[in-house]
Amino acid sequence: MSQKTILYVEDNEFNRKIVKQLLAQTKYRLREAADGETGLRMAQEQAPDLILMDVQLPKMSGLEATRRLRADPQTAAIPIVVITSYALSGDAEKAKAAGATTYLAKPYSPRDLLAKIREIVPEE
Amino acid sequence: MRGGVLKLPEYTRDAPMRFDRPDPLARLLLRSPMGTLVRWVASARASVQRKLLAAFLLITLLFLAMGAFSVYTVRSMSRQSELLDKAHQRVEWAQQIHHSLAMQMHLTAMALLVREEAALGPILRENNRFSEALARLEQAVEAPERAVIQKIRSGQEEAMTTVADIANLVRDGKFDAARTLHSGREDPLYRSIDALAYELVERENARMVALRSSIQAANQRSLVVLGSFAAVSVMLALAGGFIISWALIIPVHRAHDFLSELASGRFGGGVTVENRDEFGELAAQLTATSKELARLDAVQRRAAHELGTLNLRLEQASQAKSEFLANMSHELRTPLNAILGFTEMLNDGLYGEMPQGFREPLGDIQTNGKHLLRLINDVLDLSKIEAGKMELAVEEYSASEVIHTVRSSLRPLAEEKGLDFRAIVDDSLPEVLYGDAKRITQCLLNLAGNALKFTKQGSVTIRAAREGDFIHYSVSDTGIGIPEDQLDAVFTEFKQVNSTITREFGGSGLGLSITKKFVEMHGGRIWVQSRLNEGSTFHFAIPLKREAVATA
Repeated sequence: MSQKTILYVEDNEFNRKIVKQLLAQTKYRLREAADGETGLRMAQEQAPDLILMDVQLPKMSGLEATRRLRADPQTAAIPIVVITSYALSGDAEKAKAAGATTYLAKPYSPRDLLAKIREIVPEE
Repeated sequence: MRGGVLKLPEYTRDAPMRFDRPDPLARLLLRSPMGTLVRWVASARASVQRKLLAAFLLITLLFLAMGAFSVYTVRSMSRQSELLDKAHQRVEWAQQIHHSLAMQMHLTAMALLVREEAALGPILRENNRFSEALARLEQAVEAPERAVIQKIRSGQEEAMTTVADIANLVRDGKFDAARTLHSGREDPLYRSIDALAYELVERENARMVALRSSIQAANQRSLVVLGSFAAVSVMLALAGGFIISWALIIPVHRAHDFLSELASGRFGGGVTVENRDEFGELAAQLTATSKELARLDAVQRRAAHELGTLNLRLEQASQAKSEFLANMSHELRTPLNAILGFTEMLNDGLYGEMPQGFREPLGDIQTNGKHLLRLINDVLDLSKIEAGKMELAVEEYSASEVIHTVRSSLRPLAEEKGLDFRAIVDDSLPEVLYGDAKRITQCLLNLAGNALKFTKQGSVTIRAAREGDFIHYSVSDTGIGIPEDQLDAVFTEFKQVNSTITREFGGSGLGLSITKKFVEMHGGRIWVQSRLNEGSTFHFAIPLKREAVATA
């Protein structure tokens, strides 16, 4: 039994704090990245069990990072949840096209997010 | 329209009338010196009227000349024929002289035979007739014949003297002497006169024959001259007609070709003709018109181009606005996400036990945060619809699923208010419907959310049933209702029945307006029935057929 690692790529520190607090109650281990490039590098280096990817990120967009991860054989199999902004037309389609496993619209309920994480990567 | 130049309308033209182009003969003639004449007439500085007048005058003059020549020929022929008549007359007179002479000889011989002086009387009468004929002939003949006539006359006088002598001898009964005188003197005299008379007849006859043949030759000549004259006149008339008509037809053809060019939208060219008459002026005016059209066309094209550029700029501005809204939405949502997230986690006890009395303000924060989120969503939806950026994702969907989603989303609110919340899906509905399920759900959420909001007790019912070629959704409530005079305004943005309602019930005032637009984008329509204090029913109908939805 090994601890599952989740990489959260998000530039807003408050949203990161929410997820940190949410996962603090669980057995998941959280890694954080504040921009697309860092997120991509960390994903390649650490091969997490799940990636939560925001769309609008500095340096590299979440969709671009997702595409690159999918193109890399080492990271191609990692499930990615893309967190979209509801208002952007066709966001869900764009996320799917970039290779997202699923997507979650902002604002999301922490409760729903945790449920989704557990569905894709069981805690144990 | 993206950045293009406005396309000018195409000219729709019927097939142009076909002019008769110069046929091979006319082409040949136009290349001959005749063509030079055509150009000369065209370039002559005179009005078309004068040119036509001149052409007709030329032709008229030719025919007048031909007529005059004909009259002259006929008159000359009749004069010749008169001469012939006279010659004939002369021959007749000469013959009469000859005959009369023979009679005199005969009568003298008779008188000698009967031996009576009285028998000589008829000779005198015959002699008188002879003299008359001789005098008439003398008047009519030429000099050589006149000389012969003189000889005949002197011979005749001698003969008459001899006849008188014979008459005296007969009276005296000297018949032998009379007979001797007759045979020895009178008879030879008569014979010589007779020879002269015969010569006269022959001469006149010969003259007549000569005259007749000369008349025939003259007539022949006249016919040839008249014929040639007529032929030349006809040729000249034809040539005149050809020249004048082509001098006028050529500019018409050029103008026609030029107008065809204009009609096909090629402006700015010119038409040149050699005419210095009305056609020349017409060509100059056509050229001026073409130049003016080219100028207007250029102005129009420039305007269209500017309009295109402007359009492009507007499109870019609109694009920028949409992008701004999308970015704003993200920017607004990110802190809102944090607010709602922290609130929810506090509520869920992720930060430990909640002190008593915190739960209610925390619930208020959550309610207001969700309200703010709905407002942001509505404003964004409306902006997108108005910018034409909202596109429907028309796919197969199930009405039962849509209604189930709506019902489970709103059930907590209904339960909280103690309202009976029902959903009725008619069996008549097809399994597969076409539309954007997300937007239809949004419409029903708006309508049912409003119904729950405005109803304090009783029930809210969602219905879906087939009605002809449409699926008919309705949401009924037993709420406060809408005054009749406000019914039309409910679908307008930011219209709630009054501001008290806004304060009491909340809402952005955009939900119905957005619902109406989504329904219309589906090719459907929306309407409302209501009674104040009894309740309202909102209806909308969407076509069943995919084509009707997709083309809306």
